[in-house]
Amino acid sequence: MAFDYDKYLRLEKMPTLWCWGCGDGVILKAFIRAIDKMGVKQDDVCVVSGIGCSGRFSSYVDFNTIHTTHGRTVAYATGVKLANPDKLVICVAGDGDALAIGGNHTIHGCRRNIDMTLIVINNFIYGLTNSQTSPTTPQGMWTVTQKVGNIDPTFDTCDLAIASGASFVARETMLDPKKLEKMLIKAMQHKGFSMAEVLSNCHINLGRKNGMKNAMENLEWIDSITVSKKKYDAMTPEEQLNLLPTGILKEDTDADEYCDLYAEVQKVHQGERKRITQDDFVKKI
Amino acid sequence: MGTYKTVNPGNQPVWVNTSNCKACDICVSVCPSGVLGMKYESTSTLGAMISIDHPEACIGCNECELTCPDFAIYVADKAEYKAAGFSFAKLTDESKDRQSKIVANNYMSLSEKGVK
Repeated sequence: MAFDYDKYLRLEKMPTLWCWGCGDGVILKAFIRAIDKMGVKQDDVCVVSGIGCSGRFSSYVDFNTIHTTHGRTVAYATGVKLANPDKLVICVAGDGDALAIGGNHTIHGCRRNIDMTLIVINNFIYGLTNSQTSPTTPQGMWTVTQKVGNIDPTFDTCDLAIASGASFVARETMLDPKKLEKMLIKAMQHKGFSMAEVLSNCHINLGRKNGMKNAMENLEWIDSITVSKKKYDAMTPEEQLNLLPTGILKEDTDADEYCDLYAEVQKVHQGERKRITQDDFVKKI
Repeated sequence: MGTYKTVNPGNQPVWVNTSNCKACDICVSVCPSGVLGMKYESTSTLGAMISIDHPEACIGCNECELTCPDFAIYVADKAEYKAAGFSFAKLTDESKDRQSKIVANNYMSLSEKGVK
């Protein structure tokens, strides 16, 4: 008997619709193992996903799931969390879903620091709709909308989350599923907004025209652009230029969590206290 | 609809659910000891299917199961496998050599010509 994934899967939807060698499947497995290790009941987990290849994520897992409109994962999940503060809410979005179409929702989710985990599966391209430029596509790569080479500067998902006020920010790749599993457990156990960026491959739509025609070549490229945070910190700025640090980049356990603050609002309406004033907050402006 | 086989089919160190496998080669690339290889299979989408050529060399590292995106390959639980009276092999130079040959053969079994 190997690890029993079947318990957490909607078996009638298998096999997955993802292409051969797609990193989304590896992330799905790591996520299932992380939930299993945490010992959370299936009824206490809510998975919210948007549109894109990553949107299929919620269809395959047997939890409470919502497959929402494009980019609105964090908006829907905020509603779910405020109505059910004791549930574990996980959003899954791709790089286009979380940073382009839903970029606004993502930064405001980070700002509110509401207790949920946003897993951003970053494959550097719009995979589902066949190779359009995404906010993370590296400059100079071929895309179907910029056939002479992409000129758009890229977003750094983790820097964006840190600047917007997320209290837990981590980056991991799908190359090391054990590390990924540990990171996901930490992200889900953290109280506050957790941004978990997972670098993934899309050898079909990104790799095919950029010299990485199979999964392994694409994974080697991801390996070559990532380095652990410890090594990254010891590097000079010139060496850091084309690398992304992996590991936990920010962990702040003192920040106010939004559900706790919302409970104070409920107290006001129930007549337990008068109103909320500036004295309730450490940071006034 | 596929079939779902997380239960060991009979004291195997590693086994495959062929109805889920999409022949992406990832498991073959991560195996350290040359257990796996691809074989031509005309009914499969990519024209190939995973085969377990050397189960006796499996070291039980679990890498193939962890990196398979399609819930297709499983490795026996170490404690359970030992309790059934079997043990995983040790990593040898012979198996490392076989693995590098399989990778050089385009992830195909050594009995096949490595062109897809």
